[in-house]
Formats: sequence, C-alpha cells, structure tokens
Amino acid sequence: MIRFLLKRLGWMVLTMWVVFTASFFLMRAVPGGPFDSEKKLPPVIKRNIEKRYMMDRPLLEQYWSHLWATARCDFGPSYKLEDYSVNDVIAQGFPVSASLGILAMTFALSLGLVSGVVSAVLRNSVYDVGFMVAATIGIAVPNFVLASLMIVLFVFFWPIFPAAGWGELRQIILPALCLGAPFAGYISRLTRTGMLEVLGLDYIRTAYAKGLTTREVVVHHALRGAVLPVVSYLGPATAGILTGSLVLEQIFALPGMGSHFIQAATQRDYTLAMGMVMVYTFLLFVMNTLVDLSYSMIDPRVEVD
Amino acid sequence: MPNAMLHVDQLRVEFVTDTGIVRAVNDISFELHEGQTLGIVGESGSGKTVANLAIMGLVPQPPGRIVSGHITFGGRNLRNLSNRDWSKIRGRQISMIFQDPMTALNPYMTIADQMREVTQRHLGHRRRTAIDHAVEMLERVGIPAASQRVFDYPHQFSGGMRQRVMIAMALSCKPEVLIADEPTTALDVTIQAQILDLMKQLQEDEGTAIIFITHDLGVVANICQDVLVMYAGRIVEQAQVGPLFRQPLHPYTLGLLKSGPRWDQRVAGQLETIDGQPPDLTQLPDGCAFAPRCPYVQDRCQRELPQLLFAGTAGGSQRGQACFHDLSTPAAGAVEEVDR
Repeated sequence: MIRFLLKRLGWMVLTMWVVFTASFFLMRAVPGGPFDSEKKLPPVIKRNIEKRYMMDRPLLEQYWSHLWATARCDFGPSYKLEDYSVNDVIAQGFPVSASLGILAMTFALSLGLVSGVVSAVLRNSVYDVGFMVAATIGIAVPNFVLASLMIVLFVFFWPIFPAAGWGELRQIILPALCLGAPFAGYISRLTRTGMLEVLGLDYIRTAYAKGLTTREVVVHHALRGAVLPVVSYLGPATAGILTGSLVLEQIFALPGMGSHFIQAATQRDYTLAMGMVMVYTFLLFVMNTLVDLSYSMIDPRVEVD
Repeated sequence: MPNAMLHVDQLRVEFVTDTGIVRAVNDISFELHEGQTLGIVGESGSGKTVANLAIMGLVPQPPGRIVSGHITFGGRNLRNLSNRDWSKIRGRQISMIFQDPMTALNPYMTIADQMREVTQRHLGHRRRTAIDHAVEMLERVGIPAASQRVFDYPHQFSGGMRQRVMIAMALSCKPEVLIADEPTTALDVTIQAQILDLMKQLQEDEGTAIIFITHDLGVVANICQDVLVMYAGRIVEQAQVGPLFRQPLHPYTLGLLKSGPRWDQRVAGQLETIDGQPPDLTQLPDGCAFAPRCPYVQDRCQRELPQLLFAGTAGGSQRGQACFHDLSTPAAGAVEEVDR
C-alpha cells in the first residue's frame, strides 16, 4: 500500500513535469504574446515590461526558472490581472469550482446509481423505460443548452432559483444540476448494464437459494460487482466535470477557476494558464489514484501494485 | 416405507424465447422420501436442472413459466408461495448446491459473511454465534484451519474446497432436502470421490434427503438409491440403482449404459454411442421424443406418446419405464397405468 502510494507519487511528479514542459513550449509556440495589443506600445515600454517578466531572456532560461518556481508551488504573478499572483487567483477560484464539482459529482452519483439499480431490478417496467429515456436525453443535450433551459424554467417561469451569482447554497444548485446531468445519465446506464450482468451470475442464484430477499440480494450481493464499471468511469468523469465547469461558470457567472482558465488561454497569460493546467493535472491524477485504490477495496481479488 | 416429503406432480415448465417455446420439463412426477437419495440422470437440456429450479422456485420468470402441475412439500403447495414464504423455505428446508463452485460463491464477500447470512436469517443467530456455527460447519466438511480460513475470500480456496464450502453453507440450517445440481462435474476425479464420500457421510449423520442431478452414471451408482432417467423433459425410466444397471428397461437408458466403459468388461475398439442429436425442445414430436434415435423404434412410437408405466413395486420403490418396446421380453410384469 505504502509502496503503491510512493510509486504513484513518483509517477505524478513525472506526469506533472511532462505536462508542464509541453504546456510551456506550446503556449509560447502560439503566435502572439501577453503584452501584444491593438495599440502598439512604445518599444521602450514594451522592453521594460518584458524585462520585468524575464521575457527578454533565452527561452530555456525562462523554462528553468519557471520550472523551479512551479516545483515550489509558486506560479508567479499573473500577466494580465494586475496585483494578483496566480496563487491568489487559484486560492479564490478553487473553493468555488471545487464546491460546484463535488456537488455535481454527488448529484450524478446518487441519481445515477439509484436509477440504474431500479432500472435493472425492474427491467422493462415504466421506471426502467422512463429512467433510460431521461438518461439518454441527459447525455445527449449539451450542458449549455440544458443550462439555458433550466434558467428559463426555474428562474423566469417558476422562480425558485436565482439566475446567477455566488454566495449562498441556492445559487449553486442549478449549475451543479446542469453540470452533473450528463454524468448522472452515463452512470445510470453503466449501473443498469453492470447490475443486469451481475444479476445473471451464478452467485446471485446462490444468494436467492439461501433464502435471501430480493432487497438483500441486490444490496449485499449484486451492488458491489455492479458498481465496478461506474468506479472506473469516475476518472474520466472527473475530467469531464472539470472541463464542463468551465462552461457553466461562465453561464452562471460563478467566480470559479474556469473563467480565468479561458481568459488566460485567449490572452496568452502564460503564468495563469500554466497554474490552471497544473491544478487540473493534479486533480485528475489524484482522482485516478483514488479510483485505483477503491477498485482494490471493492474487489478483494485486485491488489494494488 | 416412510412418507414422501416432496411430491412433484405433472410438472410442466416452458421458456418463451425468440425461436419459440422451449418445453423444458413436460409433465414429470416423482416423490422424494425422508433420507432418500434420488438421482436424476440425463444429458444437457433434458430438463433435470430446470425441474429442480422449479422446486426451489428459482425458475427465472420471465422467460420461464410453470405451466401446470403441483409441487407439494410438507403438505404445502409450493406453486403459489409469496416471495416472503419462499425465503423461509429456501436455505432452511430445501437447500441447493450448484455445479460450478468457482462461480457460485460471491467473489466480493468473505466466506464468513456468506455463511452467516444463512443462519442469521433462518436460525436467528447473532453475528458471533453465526460465525462460530460457520466454523463448525467448515470443520465438518473438512476445511483445515477453518477458524482462520472462514475470513478468507472464495478466490483463496481451490475448487474442491469451494465446493466443500458450498456444501457447508447449504447444510448449515439442517435442511430436509438438499438438491445437488451436478456438484462434482466441475471437479477433478479424486476431488469428486472426496466430495461424494462427504455427502454420503453427512447424509448418514443428518438424514437429509438428497436429489442428485448428474449426467455421470458412475456417480449415480456410487451415491444414489433410486434413479430417474430424463430425456427431452420427460422421465423415461425410474428404478432402483441395482435393477437399473442390471437390466435397463428403456432403450435410452440402455444406450447410456452401453456408451460408458465398464471395469468388468473388456472393450474392443470404440465404445458404443447413441446416434443422432437430442430433439429440439421447441418442436417436440407427437410421439416418443427418443424415437428418431431409437434402435427399437416401431410405427406406434411416431404417433403415440408412451406413458411412464409402473410394473409393480420391487423392494419398496416402483419401477417404471416409458417405452412401447419391452426390453425385458421374457418376464414382463403386469403393467399398470400411473395413478396418483
């Protein structure tokens, strides 16, 4: 277990270095720079600015200097947001994005698992058909369309939620629902398929032959095997939630990291974009490690290595 | 003769599939007495497993359906039991062991958890008592270091050991009937012999009645007192083990016996086989289902279905066969219609 975690830590450092290097050179390979604008700056001023941010040095020297700073978790000042360091931006935006992501994931998991199990146990019933139609719609409709629809429904038509903003619980529910909906759909389908497969296995028949009730068989015997595909989906789902939240933070005007990420990319704010990339890489890596760990906790035949 | 505890009467089970209605079990009747070991022999698809799943109420419905017939156990009709009543009988009064011990145990749960479920539910054991009981049962079926191994997972046991665990689990509430569905088929021969000995010994201790489903005639000779031979969902012959092996009355039984090697006979060349294939259960003929493969076939066999007829009682159990041809030509007893 300790060995597994140490090994993963090593891989994480390597992964983050590769991601850093690729992002660093890709960003600088893209035409344009952080201080280009429509009005031409006087060359002297531009030189001064570039000197301040070390941009007059050779590229490799900049790379080493940034790499060293990043290794100490110091992403430096933002090139565009004056008086803000990238760390400040992350510190402000991360709690917002994290709450949104966690809430969306919780919603997706609870709705997806329950509807999937119900659909499988009562297959071909009204519930099954209803849930699966809903799941397909949830997967198919893009989240910005869903968000607009939700705003029309629950903000204007039946005003129970505020349209945008941040600060109270009511304001996060709508974006979290929109963000989680497609994942709820996927998880529901995965659970249903997994459950149906497991319910046909020999050991389920054994469980019934022991005199257990349907509820006991489903909860104690079938669920564990049925959620394994869902668990492996959680890694990619995290990536999806991270990218999905970029869009929804824009729509619902949430002060999360997403809007900064987009702006940093379009405005060539090298340091801010790099900070965002590193945070997202870290989150994904941690999530995938957790998935691997939970796999071995669910299935005793799987050993972490 | 002790009273029959389990009656199966004119049971008919069908499965609705895309290619038609599969008539898996067709009007079979039999009885099981206390302490009896009844073998049910037949090839794959002869309906032996389905008939017994019906006794346990485990025929998947849909696609399966029990069309007609009665299953009576201890005076109760099992056909219209609610799920709640079923769970009081399954595992408590009627238990079942399945063919493949590698897949019949839940890979995600320890043996302790899987075994204590049974006694906690049926005997009202508390967790501690239930685990002690599980250890005791595991010791009885010959699992070494049972008190530690009870906390292992199924994948940490070999196939033979898992089947022992299954037996321990099935017998942990002292059921009156144990249905063993090919319990030794997936095991190698030495382990087979051990498991059979174990079952015989446990039966002597507990007096459990056993229905032993198998396609292995050697196993039948080893463990059973009475045998039903099934073909295409029907019982074609019913006899005690000795008479069945000495003088089979149905051509199918005769074919089965001839197609196996015997220690007391030298086999020159190839073993005999039964030509042809088992019939398509979606399109059973009007007459005898075995007729196309039968060396003794007559015109009558194609038109008319031979009923299972009983020729008196020999040594307490009835001997019956469903064939128009008389294999025991010289001394055919008085034939009487089945009447129950």
